[in-house]
Amino acid sequence: MSRRILPYLWTLLFLALAALLSVAIGSVFIPLADLWRVLTGQPPQTVSAAATIIFELRLPRTVLVLLTGAALSGSGAAYQGLFRNPLADPYLIGVASGAGLGAILAMSVHWPYSFWGLMAVPAAAFVGALLTVFIVYSLARLGKTVPTTNLILAGVAFSSFATAVTSFLMLRSTGELRRAIAWMLGGASQAGWGPVLSILPYLAIGLGILLLNGHALNLLQFGDDQAQQLGLHVTRTRTLLLVAASLATAAAVSFSGTIGFVGLIVPHIMRLWFGADYRRLLPLSLIAGAGTLLLADVLARSVLAPQELPVGIVTAIAGAPFFLWVLRRAKNQGYW
Amino acid sequence: MLKIENLSVSYGSRSVLANVSLEVNSGEVLALIGPNGAGKSTLVRAASGVVPVEAGAVRTNGDDLLSLPPLQRARFLAVVPQAASLPPAFSVWETVLLGRTPYLNFLGQVSAKDEEISRSALAKVDVLELASRRVGELSGGEQQRVLLARALAQSTPILLLDEPTTNLDLHYQIGFLETVRTLAHADGLAVLIALHDLNLAAHYADRIALLVGGKIKAAGMPRQVLTPELISEAYHLPVRVVQHPFADVPLVLPEK
Amino acid sequence: MFRKLFFAFLTIMLLAACGSTLSVTPSPTAAQIPTATALPTSPSLALTDGLNRSVTLPGPAQRVVSLAPSNTEILFAVGAGAQVVGRDSFSDYPAEAKSAQDVGGSMGKYDSEAIVALHPDLVLAGEINTPEQVSSLEQLGLTVYYLKNPVTLEEMYANVETVGSLTGHADQARTLVDSLKTRVAAVDAVIAPLDSRPTVYYELDASDPTKPYTAGPGTFVDLLISRAGGQNIGNSLTSQWAQISLEQLVVANPSIIVLGDSAYGMTPDSVKARTGWGGLAAVQSGQIYPFDDNLVSRPGPRLVDGLEALAKLLHPGAFK
Repeated sequence: MSRRILPYLWTLLFLALAALLSVAIGSVFIPLADLWRVLTGQPPQTVSAAATIIFELRLPRTVLVLLTGAALSGSGAAYQGLFRNPLADPYLIGVASGAGLGAILAMSVHWPYSFWGLMAVPAAAFVGALLTVFIVYSLARLGKTVPTTNLILAGVAFSSFATAVTSFLMLRSTGELRRAIAWMLGGASQAGWGPVLSILPYLAIGLGILLLNGHALNLLQFGDDQAQQLGLHVTRTRTLLLVAASLATAAAVSFSGTIGFVGLIVPHIMRLWFGADYRRLLPLSLIAGAGTLLLADVLARSVLAPQELPVGIVTAIAGAPFFLWVLRRAKNQGYW
Repeated sequence: MLKIENLSVSYGSRSVLANVSLEVNSGEVLALIGPNGAGKSTLVRAASGVVPVEAGAVRTNGDDLLSLPPLQRARFLAVVPQAASLPPAFSVWETVLLGRTPYLNFLGQVSAKDEEISRSALAKVDVLELASRRVGELSGGEQQRVLLARALAQSTPILLLDEPTTNLDLHYQIGFLETVRTLAHADGLAVLIALHDLNLAAHYADRIALLVGGKIKAAGMPRQVLTPELISEAYHLPVRVVQHPFADVPLVLPEK
Repeated sequence: MFRKLFFAFLTIMLLAACGSTLSVTPSPTAAQIPTATALPTSPSLALTDGLNRSVTLPGPAQRVVSLAPSNTEILFAVGAGAQVVGRDSFSDYPAEAKSAQDVGGSMGKYDSEAIVALHPDLVLAGEINTPEQVSSLEQLGLTVYYLKNPVTLEEMYANVETVGSLTGHADQARTLVDSLKTRVAAVDAVIAPLDSRPTVYYELDASDPTKPYTAGPGTFVDLLISRAGGQNIGNSLTSQWAQISLEQLVVANPSIIVLGDSAYGMTPDSVKARTGWGGLAAVQSGQIYPFDDNLVSRPGPRLVDGLEALAKLLHPGAFK
């Protein structure tokens, strides 16, 4: 029994610590006593702006980063399982490039400074991401089946196309280039709870579907024939999971930009440590992905404060060596 | 029992199976033999619903299994594939539990009964002690047994096996087929097994069907199918059939 | 099925977007720091900023955070330097500006916590900032004024006067603008009678010397070069930050090269050493000049310094 529960305990502990760090650490030092007073609704004693900083900046950001990490890592695990490809990441079939293209297109219009004007970029990124997945899926389809190789090839080809169009538009643009680069590096994040509330429904649907399909992903690891012979409706399940994972990724990307590596590394580490059973791998990846991105975000905010690094740089710089280290000392060679 | 009726399959314009009909009774092992490319694997795949068929039906007690959704079909018919390229990270136990897929609720929860059935399936094929090992650490013979246990966990009246002994050494081949025959006879399973070794087929099958170029050329008792004429013609190789020196089965020997 | 799902999700998305509202009304900060300097009470200010937002101040801003180097330069030039409590990382002029707290800004990221902790009564944003950043600061209960980039000198003067009003230095701002106008008029008076209009290549970046970047039409570089009596060869290109091929450059054959990238180590010698550049008139005559790009890239009062410096480079004989 404890062997089943321990992985959850470890990852949840990690997530709790990361969340605590994320709320406690920032460029403005807020003593723990003040942090506690503010969180329990009393006025702070030393830092007068503590309440604003905690409630309007740190908590919403912590929740947004947590959700983004969970979405990227969870859909990364799902994509690796769907494509039976250890190199698959949440962006494999074009979510990132589609979102980028959508964002750039939205930026080429001068929106009024209003709620809708501010929502235009994340909304366009979201729609661009889903539209890309839809196009890639349609291109890859052969009759009733969607061969994985077709899907990956169509995804890679269409992504290159969308990225090229994005670069072209950026080169042609005059004023909004800075905004485009800011989006690429860190999304269109805004303070407050707006972004969290906007993406929550999609994450709940997308990640919920993934969590319910751990068993189906286990079956798919044995190949389409065996999965179907064991009772799985392969085409339908794969489409459903593809939509769910893309939905979660698209929602995460719309506000946070494309953050690399979390969706690739975290599921692999979970697989190495706790085995390949997707019924366990998916929830563990969600939890650990949330914690990992939170930790990366804390680093991004504090290493060079007041300068803030794009979090994707931190995930790659800190994540890649750590992953290689884990991989080197892994005893079970055929973990994949 | 398993009744395959007039099954036809084409890949594009090329006919792979033409009007194949076969019957396997409960408690009987039917070996499907034939040269490479005759359509043995296609027959197993088509009968299990993973290759679309042009015409024909696969019945047990009257129902056409091919018209059922996969989940329903998997309660009647289980397949043992070749143990090539299994995902190595799964444990034996996780792998065998997948056989219970057709009986799980939509949350995919495994009940105590599912675990009991899976455990007894492992015991039947003698790999219970491997339960916590990873599939990637097992030998080919052990992997093949795990796949058999998974199919047994499906609790189906019909079992299809696609050349399960191809990659096994002699010891494992004999042991595996021994187990399959015992199970078929003891539990009343209808077993269709594609084999390419004619003498193993002669030894372990109750009946044999010879598939050549997508058509059934002959079906019957081993002695009726393993004749020099039929085999020489099917394999384009002159053979002689002699009496096995210490068993009551025919023995096929190439003339060269 | 995919198609149906897809449109279902789109519908949900739109509904969700309608449901959630982004609060744009400022919430009160935990504690307001009372302004220490007791100024004579002035009437409250209401202005419309570059994003068409109406910005209201109870009185002249006393604690200002500047998010762009040009804003910082304007603030100090109108005499509001003592009111600047925070500035972005790139604000390095005048030297006193560096003593204000650094609130970030590299890679487009600002340190919101530091800004909030400074309790500014005005955040002066610029076109370097995205609308998202403005909205974020606004949500934190801060008063933000977005100063649009000027495209003419007149608009720059207007910006100077706006900053003067926001900070209670309207008179000083007007005096400054008058002196700037006088200096520009002096340059105009020297340039107008001259016949020669030398061709100028203004270099922004030549990491790849076969296709360097130059300033295109609509930029202050372009405007100031022509005002200083020259012809910007980048004027014929389409984008503002424009790439020009070495072939085009050879055809245009500029007689003067201005190195806006001298801060990154470009020198006349390094230009002469470039392959294929030897035939350019400017290279042969040695008319290659290092230049302080900040004088023409930051839309503040120092643009006039930039104009004077360019005019002297292009027409050294006319300024004795």
